[in-house]
Amino acid sequence: MIRLVNVNKYFYRGDPREVHALKDVNLSIQSGEFTVITGPSGCGKTTLLNAIGVLDNVSEGEIWLEDREIAHLPATQKTDIRLNSIGFVFQAYNLVPVLTVEENIGFIMRLQGYSDEAIRIRVREVASILQIDQKLDSLPNFLSGGQQQRVAVARAVASKPKIILADEPTANLDSKNSTALMEMMKELNRKEGITILFSSHDEYVMKNARRTILLNDGAVVSS
Amino acid sequence: MFKTVAHMAYQNAFLRKSRALLLVLMIGLSMAVMVGLEGLYDGMSQHMIEKTKRSDCGDISLFAPRYRTENSIVYHISNAGKKVALLQGMKGVRDAIWRIESEGLAQTARKSRPARVVGIDVADEEKFGRYSDFLQKGSLEFGKDGAFIGNVLADKLKLLLGSKVIFSMQDSSGQLQSVALRIKAIIHTTNIMLDDRAIYISRQKLNKLLSLPPKSATQIAVLAGDTEVKTLQQHIKKAFPKLDAKRFAALYPQLKQTQQLLDVFNEISFAIVMTVVFIGILGVMYVSVLDRIREFGILLGIGYAYRYIRLQVFLEALFLALAGFVLGSVLGLLFLVYLKYHGLDLSVFSSGMSMFGLDSTIHAVIKPGYFVSTFIAIVTASLLSIFLPLRKIKRLDPIEVIRSIG
Ligand SMILES: Nc1ncnc2c1ncn2[C@@H]1O[C@H](COP(=O)(O)OP(=O)(O)OP(=O)(O)O)[C@@H](O)[C@H]1O
Ligand SMILES: [Mg+2]
Repeated sequence: MIRLVNVNKYFYRGDPREVHALKDVNLSIQSGEFTVITGPSGCGKTTLLNAIGVLDNVSEGEIWLEDREIAHLPATQKTDIRLNSIGFVFQAYNLVPVLTVEENIGFIMRLQGYSDEAIRIRVREVASILQIDQKLDSLPNFLSGGQQQRVAVARAVASKPKIILADEPTANLDSKNSTALMEMMKELNRKEGITILFSSHDEYVMKNARRTILLNDGAVVSS
Repeated sequence: MFKTVAHMAYQNAFLRKSRALLLVLMIGLSMAVMVGLEGLYDGMSQHMIEKTKRSDCGDISLFAPRYRTENSIVYHISNAGKKVALLQGMKGVRDAIWRIESEGLAQTARKSRPARVVGIDVADEEKFGRYSDFLQKGSLEFGKDGAFIGNVLADKLKLLLGSKVIFSMQDSSGQLQSVALRIKAIIHTTNIMLDDRAIYISRQKLNKLLSLPPKSATQIAVLAGDTEVKTLQQHIKKAFPKLDAKRFAALYPQLKQTQQLLDVFNEISFAIVMTVVFIGILGVMYVSVLDRIREFGILLGIGYAYRYIRLQVFLEALFLALAGFVLGSVLGLLFLVYLKYHGLDLSVFSSGMSMFGLDSTIHAVIKPGYFVSTFIAIVTASLLSIFLPLRKIKRLDPIEVIRSIG
């Protein structure tokens, strides 16, 4: 479903001036996979996820989403792909502080123009899988870190994107909350067949994945 | 989606309570002051115009041709009583009145000044322009040798009630005529052309003194009813083709100028207040956008289009501005109502004020237009104020924000 062909990424700022952050990356990810990207700090995990999510440009190479090359589209079309085909979970600050949990989860669907009723039903469905259905009326600031990340995952999956990209979703969580989040993501992957690609260097998290992609210094070591 | 954007905008606008409150107060208070000033300025100019119309020229005045250029009683209107009666019967005329006047010299034992003597009928003047309003001192009865005098002229000639004054003028045959008069009343019309120069005596008496046939007039003044003055002027011109019918604006160009000056004051205070509103919203929105730059970055990252952010920021500014407008409307209305019924006492500046033909107490006027125009201005100010904050977001690369989290 996702295919990276000879992807290279250079950064020209900072020290050293030129960083070759992704080196000839060739990868393919099938629909329904539950995959973790891992590797030492600075190996390029975030860069890779941002490239797949068309948040950041690549320097060379192609990224195919199904039968469409997406790495070289104009900005507005990239926004469109991010909205409609990809679900994002970031490490923190995912949620809109002034919206309730329910509104946050339904946010993407609302952007996509779903009806109130459709949103209401779907929000409840994913909220119950992620065990935040008791908190639908709360504001994000009144939730724990773990709960906030579950809301972020719920928002990402609610609109049934083709793939969910999560860059270290558990990095700010303790082991108990990390475990819970992983379990729930796995369940979503199994129940709804959603493709999930995430990065982590947490041992336990990695063990949970069905497939592990190991990066080192910008290159894929094993996958 | 609009609902969600509007909801987010509303929540964010009032998220920082004290910041929002301060801005709303600032907008509300400055708007109230501006609306109050507008009402006062309008009150001033309306008041000036109204008093001048009542004490002198009405909406339209009729003169014999050449009277206004030659300023001589040779050019008078004869049978003015009949003409006034005709005018009073005309559609669109509220009232009409005739007067006779002549230039001359007023003297006391020690002082003399050029002045004009105006022949009036007190009852007619009362009906036409509530003449008794202008009475500052004394009583409005001429008796045998009584005269009224403008308050400024009285000061200059050091005349008090009961003082004697001699007025000399040329009659219609060119003979010098003098009359001894006793001051019965001091008149304050706020029309400087009268207060500084006029001595009023009985109309009949002046006609006789000038050796004119009875009911000869130099001026017929007409107050318009509901009809538009321009139309009425045309009707009158048709009915009295031999007379010169002039509208107020042509007779008192300087009042028109004063009004224009007040309009400029109005525009300046309007501009100042709008700048205050603009800068206030700009500041608050700028800080608020900077506060949330991470939130906007994430939103852009997950596919929230820039145009939604633009709408959201605009609505935020608008909500704050509208809250200010509502407060400003309430305060402004209260202020205006107070100024309308109690007036603003400017007696400290009264000597300067009466030079402009103003009373020392000014009563405001209330027009819905004040609120409509501030509404438009406030919406415009909030629209303009978001450009700078939006530029911050436009330049924002979500990737920077997202990287800064990890
Ligand atoms: N904006 C940037 N400008 C310059 N160099 C960058 C930039 N972003 C990342 N890099 C460099 O690219 C390389 C890959 O960084 P990346 O953030 O992808 O690593 P990572 O695997 O996500 O690390 P971590 O586990 O610490 O999050 C690093 O050497 C980093 O210094
Ligand atoms: Mg990283």
